[in-house]
Amino acid sequence: MGDHFSLILLPTLACNAECDYCFETRTDCRLSLDQISELVRKVMDHLDRNRITSFSIYWQGGEVMTLPPRWFEESFEIIQKIADENNKEVSHFLQSNMIAYGTQWNRVLAEMFRNSVGTSMDFPNLHRKLKSGGTSEYDRVWTRNIREARDAGIEVGVIAIPNEQTLDWGVERFYSHFVDDLGIRDFQINTPFPGGSLNAVKKGFPLDPHRLTRFFADLATIWFERGFEKGVTIGPLSKLVDYFLHGNKDFACIWRNNCVNDFVCIDPGGHVAQCDCWVTSYPEWRFGNVFAADSLTDLLRKSPARRSLQSRPGVLVQREDCLECDYLGICHGGCPVRAFTVHADVFRKDPYCELYRNLFQTAREMAVERPPGLDSTEGIGVH
Amino acid sequence: MDPVVYNIPASMIGAYRGRTVIVRSHDPAEVVGALSAEELTSVAYVQVLSVRSELEPLMHWGQGIPVDLVVQDRKVDLPLLYQCAPLLDRHAVRVTIPVVPGFSKVVKLAVALNFAVKLEVSQPAPPLLDELSQVAHSYLHQATVAQPIEYFHSLFLAFYRGDPVTLWSIQEEDPLHVRYLTDEGKETLSRRFAESDLKGDVTTFVTRFTESLLAEKAECSSCEVLAHCSGYFKWPNREYRCDGVKTLFRTLKSAAEELRGDLAAFTSDGQEERS
Repeated sequence: MGDHFSLILLPTLACNAECDYCFETRTDCRLSLDQISELVRKVMDHLDRNRITSFSIYWQGGEVMTLPPRWFEESFEIIQKIADENNKEVSHFLQSNMIAYGTQWNRVLAEMFRNSVGTSMDFPNLHRKLKSGGTSEYDRVWTRNIREARDAGIEVGVIAIPNEQTLDWGVERFYSHFVDDLGIRDFQINTPFPGGSLNAVKKGFPLDPHRLTRFFADLATIWFERGFEKGVTIGPLSKLVDYFLHGNKDFACIWRNNCVNDFVCIDPGGHVAQCDCWVTSYPEWRFGNVFAADSLTDLLRKSPARRSLQSRPGVLVQREDCLECDYLGICHGGCPVRAFTVHADVFRKDPYCELYRNLFQTAREMAVERPPGLDSTEGIGVH
Repeated sequence: MDPVVYNIPASMIGAYRGRTVIVRSHDPAEVVGALSAEELTSVAYVQVLSVRSELEPLMHWGQGIPVDLVVQDRKVDLPLLYQCAPLLDRHAVRVTIPVVPGFSKVVKLAVALNFAVKLEVSQPAPPLLDELSQVAHSYLHQATVAQPIEYFHSLFLAFYRGDPVTLWSIQEEDPLHVRYLTDEGKETLSRRFAESDLKGDVTTFVTRFTESLLAEKAECSSCEVLAHCSGYFKWPNREYRCDGVKTLFRTLKSAAEELRGDLAAFTSDGQEERS
């Protein structure tokens, strides 16, 4: 974890949406302010024991905006006070579906989250639905709310998950929708996986790697032609190109050498696991409970599940073909939860291996070709 | 001040106080326990003789002190490199890898994890020369390799800059700069010389050895890379044929010349000159 610790914190598992591919098992459980205080004190103790001076909290749900803004304001005060007492720096990041967004959130977003929020939307939207409505109602509310948020000076980053129809419709419509129609300048494309309880939609995952590869290659071309010089960033392409140009390894969690070294996730029941999918849907992979443990450090150190995940990349280089791959240094076998949900075996490489390899190759070629302006870091997602 | 760096077992720290040392041990806890905060300033680096040891004591100790991890068994140690990666948060870390069959896999993983690499090489047989050649190629040309792989890296720079550096020096076996203290306290060049009788003054060994090779008028006397090699590959067997290692030298030299040529083709404002 170096000199920094990252915590994915799920203060609630309640949600105002009902998305087909959600991997979380939802409950009405939510963290109380007293629990926030206890949890953060245990995190501080962990930072002290490991001589870490700063940490980030990534607030996710459930849906975080099912909690009132006042709850966040109070949590923010509690956390800041404890951090100050312990001489630590803390940063906050928010991931929300923005369905419950309204102007009442602007103060929290400004003060706690530096006017920045991450959200999710697909094109076309086939699977994101309101609890009391369908996909078109979800689209309407989401689009209205992100426009209002942007008008209020809030920077909105979008994660999009492609589906079969995304691939059928092609990149031109996808790119135009997000960038030209919605004015999104920072988005990321994640691959879907069948986490949590299985249903008809999840049975279609993983998506066909050949079609996804074509999609990403076409997207890269359009981004270079139309978005790159205007400062549009597309994850993971932007950061991959940056890596091949400048050597910066600032990748998403799936491509760290071992995500276990970088962050943990805690749900509203205090359960600790590697990330949100593990903690909510796979109890056998939890590391323990922060409220039941005296020390987060000991909890992490003694967890057999964590040790198992920790050993994964070392096992992969012996069992899989990762050691033969030119891109081992930027992949390390990919995401454990994607491997587990597809193969029921954490010691398999990421099922999107073929896509990743092609993506790395594409980014490498883009960096070598260097279109005008690519020598500078401007516009390629260096934050 | 004594310009020599002494590679010593952790148990000898007391006897070498005031000198620059490389402190080695199988057990990082022994190193941490043996060194006071004041003594850290005289530590060139810490050498951990087994990646199978418990590295936790080094994780939060000696911020910035370089660490050298020595691979002993490539098959057993390979997957364990992942557990060593968090050391990079606080230390510059190099992995020393013996050149034995299959060593290139360990090199590949080590550089993938952002470790610097030192190859511990003696007199490689043909299959190992092929493997060395593959590693040299990936060091020179693979976009994802960003860490130095020694001895290739320093030799490449020597060719590029025209520096008169020798392999003895690159491999930390030049007795004018580095001495190795065996566990029994015998002073020698490095651990591969621990059991050897160097016959005479250790400090002059390399000069004496090179001169004796030249006096034989054998392969070294007409060798194009003698200035950088100084007979390094003639130990322990003076009859070792150097054709394979000379090819590696040429590969590195040619790459250095190519880079120099490429850079010279650019004008000072970064534009490629066109004829």
